[in-house]
Amino acid sequence: MAMEAASTGKKERRSGILQRTDVRAGWGLLTPAGIVILAVTIFPIVYSLFMSFNNIQLTTNGFQFTFTGLQNYKDVYSAPLFWHSVGFTIYYSVITVAVELFFGLLIALAIQNVERLKSISIIVMLIPWALITVISAQMWGYIYNGVYGVLNAILQGLHIIHTQVNWLGQPFTAVVSLMIADIWKTTPFVVIILLSGLQMIPKDYYEAALIDGANAWQSFWNVTFPQLRGSIALAGLFRILQAFGIFDLPFVLTQGGPGTTTTSLAMLGEETLFTNLHFGLGAAVAISTVILILGACLIFLSAFRGMVGEEAQ
Amino acid sequence: MKARTRNWAAVVSIASTTTALLAGCGQTQSGNTANGSAAIAPKQNTVSTNVVAPTHLVNYSNASGSIVWAESFTTGPVAKQLVAAFEKKYPKIKVTMQVQPSSTDTNRADLTATISGGSSTPDVYMGDVIWPAQFAHAQLAAPLSDYLPKSFWNRFSNGLVQGATYNGKVYAAPLFADTAFLYYRKDLLQKYHLPVPTTWEQVKSEAATIVKKGGAKYGFVWQGADYEGLTCDFDEYLADAGGSVLTNGKASLNTPAANKALSFMRSLITSGVTPKTVDTFQEPQSENVFTQGQAVFLRNWSYAWSDSQNPTSSKVVGKVGVTALPTFAGHGSSGYSTVGGWDLYLNPHTKDLAAALQFIDWMTSPQAQEILAANSEMPTIKAVANSPTLKKYSPVFALLPKVKFVSRPSQTPQYPSVSKAIYDNVNEALAGSVSVSTALKNANSQINSAQSGSGSGGL
Repeated sequence: MAMEAASTGKKERRSGILQRTDVRAGWGLLTPAGIVILAVTIFPIVYSLFMSFNNIQLTTNGFQFTFTGLQNYKDVYSAPLFWHSVGFTIYYSVITVAVELFFGLLIALAIQNVERLKSISIIVMLIPWALITVISAQMWGYIYNGVYGVLNAILQGLHIIHTQVNWLGQPFTAVVSLMIADIWKTTPFVVIILLSGLQMIPKDYYEAALIDGANAWQSFWNVTFPQLRGSIALAGLFRILQAFGIFDLPFVLTQGGPGTTTTSLAMLGEETLFTNLHFGLGAAVAISTVILILGACLIFLSAFRGMVGEEAQ
Repeated sequence: MKARTRNWAAVVSIASTTTALLAGCGQTQSGNTANGSAAIAPKQNTVSTNVVAPTHLVNYSNASGSIVWAESFTTGPVAKQLVAAFEKKYPKIKVTMQVQPSSTDTNRADLTATISGGSSTPDVYMGDVIWPAQFAHAQLAAPLSDYLPKSFWNRFSNGLVQGATYNGKVYAAPLFADTAFLYYRKDLLQKYHLPVPTTWEQVKSEAATIVKKGGAKYGFVWQGADYEGLTCDFDEYLADAGGSVLTNGKASLNTPAANKALSFMRSLITSGVTPKTVDTFQEPQSENVFTQGQAVFLRNWSYAWSDSQNPTSSKVVGKVGVTALPTFAGHGSSGYSTVGGWDLYLNPHTKDLAAALQFIDWMTSPQAQEILAANSEMPTIKAVANSPTLKKYSPVFALLPKVKFVSRPSQTPQYPSVSKAIYDNVNEALAGSVSVSTALKNANSQINSAQSGSGSGGL
């Protein structure tokens, strides 16, 4: 902008040359960012793709590649554990993201309507999100612990349960326990995005709704929700991107167990790459995960548009 | 939960051996069950027989230079003490310490990334005893036996060098060893007039008695979580029952011995002797229950002794006894204990080979091994391990002649997948979500496919 403004005076006389200078300057300005993106995003993705088509042997001279085409993918897709991880990751992501969006919306609306201590409410609400996951996971570990866990102590004190429940050591409760910890952790993130969306809705709309005699539910359904559509989609997308890459919570709380119950795709990929040192297979898992995430985002967006898109217009 | 971080490291993947290794930790061809007890001479290999002759013998007696040592002690003064003593003796060599992540798997990922990227440092690094095959196969470790004279390997307790050997070459020098013991509450056994158990059946019945009479909340705690430590616990019961993970290189978990081992582990939970949450216990959790005075028996590594005697974290100081792990009735006088510990590895890209070798040589010398023993780490060389003064450092050292050792089947580069096949399925059976026989059947087929090292077995 500044460059354009400075050059407008001369533009009339020697526009051709100056435009070229502009273009050159533009590229010049883009280059640093471009290099960074190329180095930390594009290159790793392309390199992973390349790795996934090769059998890779570590040697003292570095990686030794043997092109094997789709063999790694065939191997990965023939492993029951991979499909189990896909199933767990999808199941886990769909439920946590849906619940987080629901609670996130409720909490955002509540905070929006708080008169006093609004900033304190926001800060308190943000604490779970601000804590480093491995640390809060460790904390959940103490809560869920079957022997000296807080949850069992409370439930036993209230006479809701009579024997200790092994929360993380049984397949069903382990999955639910992870989901609760995840929802606790990331709902604040959804709240923040939705809060900013709420604040952008012009007050006039609500006044107009009030004049038209709309009750609270009607004004939510006809004003707030359609106006919030974009923010919900954004929060949902971010959450899907993260949820499909879930790693730290099960890594700390269950190590993927009991058995392989809570082994997510990211854990499977990490283990294949860095514990088993099978780089080709690990790359194939990683690329498959990326494709799955992209697919999930597309499905979410089109489903979301189908659900609320028309109404919003 | 104080869990010295080093414990984490020493133990997550597991610990080691020593004196009694003299008694024979000779691995069978299948790489699994070790033979012998203190009274029996080793049936298998003696130390250096399988080591090939050096190809590039290096004379490092006048070495000088500067090396980086990646150490995983992470806490305590041990590493600093060692480096200070080394630099005093060899002033021409400067050693820089590089502290590694305390989690064994993170440590491995870090070393793999660094060394496969061609970095010349760390020149020497500490690694788990179960890494040699995998690291040799991936050329992350240099074959030490190519540079060191054959006689170098005679200093180590029997069986240890074998564990660091892959395709005839030795890829690591054993630094310190570890193994498991049965810790018990001597005050409770006394109160209820019960003997120190020597069989697993006895552990179970005595624990049940004491819990029933209100002596303790839980009977027996151990490591049942979904991780490497469970492979160690399972291997011990398996060896006690007369089985092994591999027989002639093939998985052999579809056997009556394996069934007996896993059924017993599961029965500890179903009978209430072991809390059902044991399937989420790693070392710190199980140790914590014991040191808080809530359990009668604990299976843990050698460091649990000093932890149990530390008044800031333990409520059972002075009430703890330690003995060799029991076995199943009719299977001898004591049970098998898993071999663990840490080795020193050489980075193949090192730029200061002579200085690195001098460092490795000194770290496995009596002077360094005495420093380790004084810090409650089991020495790996005979000269120190067999010394009668060793017991003054820890009562567990005195038990070593009684201990029988079992090694994990880590002679294959695919060991991580093999072990995962074991602990995933055993953990599921402990949780009760699959039957013992299904778990063993699945483990068996997954081990075989993992061992092929290709295809979907690599996941």
